[in-house]
Amino acid sequence: MTKVKKKVRGVEFKQKIVPYMFLAPNLLIFSIFIIVPALIGLYYSFTDVTLFTFDGFDFIGLENYVKLIDNEYFVKAFVNTIKLVIVVVPIMYVASLTMAVLIVQPLKAKGLFRAVYYWPVMISAIVIGIMWNWILAGNFSIFNAIARSLGIQTLKTLTDPTFAWWSVVFALVWSRAGYYMIIFMAALLSIPVPLYEAADMDGASKLQKFMYITYPAIRPARLMVFILTTMEIFKVYPLVVTLTGGGPHRATYFTVQYVYEVAFKEYQVGSASAMSMVMLLIVTIFTAANFFLSKRGENV
Amino acid sequence: MKKASLLTYVLSIVVLLIFILPVIYIIFSAFKPSSELFSANPTFIPKDWTLENFTIALSKGNFSLYIFNTFLVAISSTIIAVIINTMAGYALSKFRFKGENVIMLLILSTIMLPLEVIMVPIFSVLRFFGLYNSLLALIIPPAATPTGIFLMRQYLLTIPDEVIQAARIDGASEWRIFWNIILPNAKPAIATLAIFSFMWRWNDYVWPLIAINSPKKYTLQLAIANFSGEFGIDYNSVIAMSALAMIPMLIVFLIFQRQFVQGTVDSGMKG
Repeated sequence: MTKVKKKVRGVEFKQKIVPYMFLAPNLLIFSIFIIVPALIGLYYSFTDVTLFTFDGFDFIGLENYVKLIDNEYFVKAFVNTIKLVIVVVPIMYVASLTMAVLIVQPLKAKGLFRAVYYWPVMISAIVIGIMWNWILAGNFSIFNAIARSLGIQTLKTLTDPTFAWWSVVFALVWSRAGYYMIIFMAALLSIPVPLYEAADMDGASKLQKFMYITYPAIRPARLMVFILTTMEIFKVYPLVVTLTGGGPHRATYFTVQYVYEVAFKEYQVGSASAMSMVMLLIVTIFTAANFFLSKRGENV
Repeated sequence: MKKASLLTYVLSIVVLLIFILPVIYIIFSAFKPSSELFSANPTFIPKDWTLENFTIALSKGNFSLYIFNTFLVAISSTIIAVIINTMAGYALSKFRFKGENVIMLLILSTIMLPLEVIMVPIFSVLRFFGLYNSLLALIIPPAATPTGIFLMRQYLLTIPDEVIQAARIDGASEWRIFWNIILPNAKPAIATLAIFSFMWRWNDYVWPLIAINSPKKYTLQLAIANFSGEFGIDYNSVIAMSALAMIPMLIVFLIFQRQFVQGTVDSGMKG
C-alpha cells in the first residue's frame, strides 16, 4: 500500500542524490551568474567601487542612493522609462489582442497571416532599430519621400524629440506584438464554442459576445501579457542603441542605457549598481501591482 | 464554418502590409548601389541590383568572422541548453526530493532578475572566472534558462512513469535512462527549446556587450551595433549585414513555425 501512495507523483528513487545531480549544472550556472551577481550588485550599491578598483573600495552606506535624486540624467532616464512603460503596455495589449482576434477568424490563408504577424519577433532588436532608423531618419528617408508625395512637408523625424520618442514606441509594438498575439490566440482558441452558440441563441451582438464571453475568458492571458510587457519595456535598450542612440537631447534615453554608460563609460560601478537596484525594485512593484490589481478585479 | 467578413480581410491585409513592407524594404535596400541608397528620391525596389554592399561589409568589417562567431556561439550554447535544461526538467518532473520547492522558487526568482539589472556584477564575475572576452562567456551562462526548464518539465510530465520504472527494473543506470529513454522521448519539446535557444543566442546583444571587448570575438549583433555607433551609421555595410543577420532566422522560422507557436504558448516568456 505504501508503495502505491509514494507513486502519487513521479517515481520514488533509491538513490536520493540523483535528482540533485541532474539539477546541478543549471543550479550552478544560476547561482554563479544570477544569484551571486544580484547579491554582489546589492553590496556594490553601498560602496564607492569603480571599474578599476574592484580590489579596494569603501563602504559608503546610502550615499549612492541619495545622490541619485540629484542626478538629473538618471531622473530623466528613469522618468522616460516609466513613461514608456505606461504608454507602450496598453498599446501593445490592444494591438496584440486585435491581431489575435483577426487571426482566429475563418480567414483564407490564415497560416500566412499568422506567420507574417509573428515574423518580426524573430528579428533582433538591433536589426529592428537599424530597419526603422533607415526608414525614418533624415530628409531622404523613404518615410519623408512618402510624406512629400502626399503633399506633407519634410519632417524632422528622428532629430525631433517627440517624433523620436514615438518612433521607439512604434518600433517596440511593431516588433513584439506578434509574440503576445500568440499568447492571446491560444487563450481565444481555448474558449468553448458552446458558450458562443448559447449567446447566439439569446441574440447577443458581436460586441456583447466579446465583452461578456471572450474578454472575461482570457483573463489569465491578459494578466500574463501585462506582466511580460511591463518587464520587457523596463529593460528596453538594444533597440534604442541603433534606432536613436538615446537622442535627440536624451529624449529616448532609458534606464538600462544610462546604467550601462555610468558603469562602463564613467566607471562608477557603485552608482550604477544603486540605479540597478532601484530599477529592480520598481519592476517588482509594477509586476506585483499588475498581479494584485487583476486579482482584485477577479473578486468584483 | 462561417466565412470572415470583407472588413476582416481588409484589416488583416493592412496589418500584414505593416509587418511585411519594412522587412522587404530593408532587404531590397541591401541590394541598392550607393547612388540609390542616398538618393533624394528613394524607390522601394532597387533600379540596379548589386551585391556591392555585401562585399564592402565582408571585406571592410571582417563580417565573415562575426558570422562564424555567431554560429559557433548559437550552436554550442543550444546543445548545452538542450542537455542541461532537459536534465533539470527531468529531475523536477519525475523525482521527489527534499528542497524541491526551494529549488523551484530559486528558478522562478531568476526570471525576476533580468540580465540588464545585474550586468555590472556579471562583468566582475566573468573577470573572476577568466571568462571575460571569451566566447565561452556567451555559450555557457546563457544556456541555463528558466524558460527551458519549465518547457521541458511540462513535456516530461507526460511521459509515463512506467517506462522509466521498467528500465530501472532492467538494471539501467540513471544516466542510461536519461540518454536512452528521456532524451529520445522528449524530441518535440527539445526541438522547440533548441529553436528558441538558437534564436536567443543569434539575436542576443546584451551578453556580448558585457562579455566581449576585442573585435575578433564580436558576434553579428554586437558588430552591427558598433558599426552604427558613434560616428554615424555606415549604412552600406550595416544594412547589408542586417539583411544577412535576419535571413537565417526567417528561414528557421519558416521551417519550424509550428514549434515557435507552440513554444510561445507553452512557455509564455523569453529566456
